[in-house]
Amino acid sequence: MPKVRGADVYWNPITETLPRDKLMELQLRKFQRLVGWAYEHSKFHRQLYKDAGLEPDDIKTWEDIRRVPKVEKSMMRQIQRKDPFPYGDMLCVPLERVTEFHQTSGTTGQPVYQADTWQDWEWWSEAWSYIMYAQGFRDKDRVFLPFGYNIFVAYWAGHYAGEKMGCEVVPGGVLDTEARILKMQELRTTALMATPTYVLGMADTARRMGIDPAKDLQVERILCAGEPGASIPATKQRMEEAWGAKVHDHVGATEIGAWAYECTAQPGGLHVNEALFLTELEDVGTGEPITEPGRRGKLIITALDRMGQPCIRFDSKDVTEWAEEPCPCGRTFRVIKGGIVGRADDITKVKGVLLAPSAIEEVVRSFPELGDEFEVEVTKKGDIDAITLKVELRPEAEGQRESVEPRLVEQLRLKTNLRYNLEFHDYGTLPRFVLKAKRFKDLRPH
Amino acid sequence: MGDENIDKQMLQELDERIQTIKRAALELQEYSGGIQAVYRNADRILASVKMLEINVSDVLDVL
Repeated sequence: MPKVRGADVYWNPITETLPRDKLMELQLRKFQRLVGWAYEHSKFHRQLYKDAGLEPDDIKTWEDIRRVPKVEKSMMRQIQRKDPFPYGDMLCVPLERVTEFHQTSGTTGQPVYQADTWQDWEWWSEAWSYIMYAQGFRDKDRVFLPFGYNIFVAYWAGHYAGEKMGCEVVPGGVLDTEARILKMQELRTTALMATPTYVLGMADTARRMGIDPAKDLQVERILCAGEPGASIPATKQRMEEAWGAKVHDHVGATEIGAWAYECTAQPGGLHVNEALFLTELEDVGTGEPITEPGRRGKLIITALDRMGQPCIRFDSKDVTEWAEEPCPCGRTFRVIKGGIVGRADDITKVKGVLLAPSAIEEVVRSFPELGDEFEVEVTKKGDIDAITLKVELRPEAEGQRESVEPRLVEQLRLKTNLRYNLEFHDYGTLPRFVLKAKRFKDLRPH
Repeated sequence: MGDENIDKQMLQELDERIQTIKRAALELQEYSGGIQAVYRNADRILASVKMLEINVSDVLDVL
């Protein structure tokens, strides 16, 4: 049989180019099936729905989806560590069916445990295959994964998806950064997956080793996750220049799955994988649905085919907005403009002004004189908030503080409407991170 | 569907073959007699079959 048109572009042209009305019908049917499954097999979900006066058959239209109660991370924390141990009664399958354990990093509290069956784990790598194919990964790629291979889901599914796609996967687990760089050079790896923080950190280390990643390594594409950096233009540009490679973003979470990805058309946002996920955008304050472009809200996400420990209307707290135009790549999946701009619980008021930490990153990373690391601290003196930004001058920009400081103050004021206390630290003295960076510290008493 | 080469008939033909594999894997489990080397490998086939259903068969339902 001749090759289907689009097979070279899309992991699955059947779903990725499906007309939107069909796509929405598919999502509704899957949602109905999932809610029925959870009601039947999970005590937690059954009780949740009964308390809301809802039976699975009540869901007949898209509007009915909003009648299904949302699940918050705190609810998951409450039920876990009980039977069936350690997941609690959100589990929809017997424990013997669970083949994978992972947990959240716990940066916002007690970690959440996540069970996956082998089918769910296949689903994880399927979701990642959509991402990687859209970003140009092919079977000729030799992919390096410099992560810890531990209890965090991180790039595990990227590893399995790489195998599924026919890539050659190089696990760079228990190696230090120098050893990883040397291994990448030795093997001429063509692709890399890491957090933006670590991508920049690796480039910095390589340069100190006398290796220029853009010239001396053969990396053509980098898949980022874990932080918003790859959707922040100044950070993306830094990474692309440092490595001489194309950088693409994707978004996922342990409790949800890998649900959004940037394609090679780079439309200034990420496609939501609407074949596998149903995402609803709602006003952070009122909870009203947002369907039109240009208005920010937080995402409520359902993983439509994850059955072991389902994710149904999970309050992700990720803040974004719908993009205006369809993507030139031809996918019918909607695009979230600029990726995830922050989290509803990160976007905080400082001196009465709403502040998203990603706005500070965009400014800092647009100054070539500044190093990759920075830190933000919000404190309170009496009744007045104070915000301190700690930065490093690059060694080659030594002596340029007087020129940088006023421009930095001005750009921060323009982009965030706030005045900052600036601290310039010696290069290399601010904390370095391997996975997710924690650069924003709100030290005000709550 | 936005592509003249993919139509309902093609998906039906794909789905028929997916269901054939599914039936065969379920039969393997049924006839495994508890041999783990058969039962577990058939289980892995069924997980892959589910991915085929997600990518093909489920879509057929809305066309």
